[in-house]
Amino acid sequence: MERFFRSDFFYHFRHAPVAIVSFVTIILIILAAIFANFIAPTNPFDPASLNLMNGFTPPLEANEFTGERFLLGTDDQGRDLFSTILYGLRISLFVGLMAVLLAMVMGVLLGLIAGFLGGWIDSVIMRFADIQMTFPSILVAMLIYGVARGILPPEVRYEMSIVVLIISIGLSEWVPFARTVRGSTLVEKEKEYVTAAKMIGLTRQQIMLRHILPNVLSPVLVIATITFALAIIAEATLSFLGVGVPSTKPSLGTLIRIGQDFLFSGEWWILLFPAVTLLALALSINLFGDWLRDILNPKLK
Amino acid sequence: MIEPLLEIKNLSVSLKKRDNISVAVDDLSLNLYPGEILGLVGESGAGKSMTGSAILGLIESPLYISAGTISLQGRSIIEAPENIRGSQISMIFQDPLVSLNPLKTIGEQLIKTIKTHFNISKAEALDRSKKLLSDVGIDPERIEAYPHTFSGGMRQRVVIALALAPEPSVIIADEPTTALDVSVQAQILNLLKQLCTERGTSIILITHDMGVISETTDRVAVLYSGRLVEIGKTSDVLQRPQHPYTAGLVASTPNIDPSSFDKKLFQIPGAMPDIDDVPDGCAFHPRCEHARDKCQKHRPPLFDARVSCWLSEKPGGTL
Amino acid sequence: MTFIILNRLFQAVLVLLFVALISFLIFRFVGNPVENLMGQEATLAQRAALEEALGLNDPIHIQYFDFLWKAVRFDFGNSYRGALPVAELIASRLPATLELALTSALFAVIFGVFMGIYTAINRGSVITNFILSSSLIGVSLPTFLIGILLIWLFSVELNWLPSFGRGEVVDLGWWKTGFLSESGLKSLVLPAITLGLYQMTLIMRLTRSEMLEVLRQDYIRLARALGLSNKAVYFFHALPNILIPVITIGGLQLGSVIAFAIITETVFQWPGVGLLFINAVYFVDIPVMSAYLLLVGFAFVLINLIVDLSYFFIDPRLRDSELKDEA
Repeated sequence: MERFFRSDFFYHFRHAPVAIVSFVTIILIILAAIFANFIAPTNPFDPASLNLMNGFTPPLEANEFTGERFLLGTDDQGRDLFSTILYGLRISLFVGLMAVLLAMVMGVLLGLIAGFLGGWIDSVIMRFADIQMTFPSILVAMLIYGVARGILPPEVRYEMSIVVLIISIGLSEWVPFARTVRGSTLVEKEKEYVTAAKMIGLTRQQIMLRHILPNVLSPVLVIATITFALAIIAEATLSFLGVGVPSTKPSLGTLIRIGQDFLFSGEWWILLFPAVTLLALALSINLFGDWLRDILNPKLK
Repeated sequence: MIEPLLEIKNLSVSLKKRDNISVAVDDLSLNLYPGEILGLVGESGAGKSMTGSAILGLIESPLYISAGTISLQGRSIIEAPENIRGSQISMIFQDPLVSLNPLKTIGEQLIKTIKTHFNISKAEALDRSKKLLSDVGIDPERIEAYPHTFSGGMRQRVVIALALAPEPSVIIADEPTTALDVSVQAQILNLLKQLCTERGTSIILITHDMGVISETTDRVAVLYSGRLVEIGKTSDVLQRPQHPYTAGLVASTPNIDPSSFDKKLFQIPGAMPDIDDVPDGCAFHPRCEHARDKCQKHRPPLFDARVSCWLSEKPGGTL
Repeated sequence: MTFIILNRLFQAVLVLLFVALISFLIFRFVGNPVENLMGQEATLAQRAALEEALGLNDPIHIQYFDFLWKAVRFDFGNSYRGALPVAELIASRLPATLELALTSALFAVIFGVFMGIYTAINRGSVITNFILSSSLIGVSLPTFLIGILLIWLFSVELNWLPSFGRGEVVDLGWWKTGFLSESGLKSLVLPAITLGLYQMTLIMRLTRSEMLEVLRQDYIRLARALGLSNKAVYFFHALPNILIPVITIGGLQLGSVIAFAIITETVFQWPGVGLLFINAVYFVDIPVMSAYLLLVGFAFVLINLIVDLSYFFIDPRLRDSELKDEA
């Protein structure tokens, strides 16, 4: 730990206000999501706690029927927006994190395999990656989502929607990981320590995992950060389009869709607060990712 | 006495990095006389190219001119160098492979340059371009060819044609032959020398190659760590070097005299310091076998308008 | 050069066949053509007869070729909802999407290139810093949020521009266009900006970094040393050299614009193929999804092909090296 504080990495971090602010924002948002059930005044996912009479209460004002006040107001169902945003963040962050993990594991594995084995396996994997990359990932995610809904029997579609969402986004983002890892692997595998490892009789799997993997970690970390922002935006987009999470458990995207419906009738807060939260989250991750990329690998630019 | 064409006085170029400032060209004064070929020689990082760029005002941040004056025919050019670029002073760079725009024919590039400086019709500009091409030994029929269809030596000929096109009085040639095959180097140098003599154009020839200096230049200035250490007529400087560094440079140049084949080539011990780590006193003293106390503490001035070394403090003092 | 064109064409067809394969697999195995055509009441015998008639019992590659042959003739079957031919549905929606995509691509390329050059030339100026920092926010803003914010500002608060639909369209017989009426043009503004903004930031950043890279080249230093004006340096020397990467990314972005149109069309209720697709995903309307994939795939392959071939017209080095290869 002490080594970390004395490292170049930490030195650069302390001298980059943008990195500090964005990092603190990310941590605050993540903590708020984790401890949502302690911070939030109500549980918006529990239908029993909702009172339709509380609907459309503006921020900080008293509701005209019940007299209750809400920090950020309520939505059409009478859900406290502050609580709903905190719980919605949980879903957004969870889906984003799992999707990145899926994309990362898949991309790193396929990249290692393609780079290390080469030959026709490499060609097949990278050719497929090329074709997938021609299509924007959000389109790929939508398509996988649609197919998954087609395969699943209608009874379980509803419960499975979050899993389906994670898989769709995860499968749509693996290519950048695979390309980077493959590239680094091709470079690393020519180096002497890999030859040396082969000489002392290590197997391919051992070499790949123990020797090459640690060397490709920093670009992977950078891509993971940027992909995390992309995944959160993808989740919000799909939920906004109405093909994501169910509306009884709204994520940020769902809330924004609800907010858009009431924009013309003047209930601006339903849209504004979830939108600002989403923007703050996505912007912080992007800024932090940019900074990380500059520090860890100036060449990636 | 002849008036200098180009006069550089006390020029300093500095580099600002985070909090500290280091000096890349340090208090350099040089004159260039009409029609002469002046060599600037030194190791890489000695400030030769930087001086060339400074004359044309082509220095970019974080580097900047921190002191000094540059004047052409008595008029200062440091404030508005864009007014003399091309028309008075033009430049040739080291690598002809990247000195030409790959997407434009050599004709387009020549015509653009000519039309920038002369108010003439396109047809006339075309004629002049063809004339220039034949002057530098390229078939004018190839005027519509793209740079990639030429060899390195041929491309450097095109670059020379471009540098001559605005009819400048000075050409700064920054290592013009370093990137070329040895067999082509002499051709290009002779061509440059011949064309400039015909036109009365002066040349500042920047190089690290003592052989090029001895064959081409009239006078030579030796730079070390951004400072002028010795300047004089080329034959004087090479035959009777006054500065230990110059002497080292001359002694470490291979000689194609068969009688010297079995001799071991001289090496100057150590390496030139980085610009942010220049020692006090004479910058060369850590590598100098004659260094004394004074050399470590005080920077030597230029004695006899010739050499910057404490050994030459007394008139006539030699090594 | 003919050889190169044929080679690229061959690769394009391969990619297209691959996309068609996925499209076919979705059509054949995710959807259930029999269920769709007959409903729940049909007897087993009737189903078997229909399966036979549809060729569902044929070997799989025969079915694939059958699918391809039908696709070439724009026969994608009927939509599960409304039982209209998919081709007819798409044809009626296509003009809306193409007009939107074209407008926003033009917007993105023109403004992106212009601002990219501006910010590269005027490094460190106040306007440059403003453009660059707002572009970072622009990249982080999801498309749908940009659309909603624009609606909020220009439709709700200022009431200047319509927030949904295509406005009045003029029927040219084979194409319904919104370009020819005032309400059509007004309706186009917000969706086109929404759709183009992200691509514009990308093109701007790319143009800027390419421009900065090119300005470091020796031929730029030589041009400056020869006394060429800034204008000549930027537009005669630098601009042609940034064209290749800008066209590459710009072209690929045009493809993304078609795909991202799904989101914009939903926000603005724009009656294009994107809205058709998202409804298909929502209602699991497999034939529409499969046909949309094929359509977008075709558009992407076509754009890539054009981008690839455009290199030969820009870069004399490529032109010559390929000619040599041929000989």
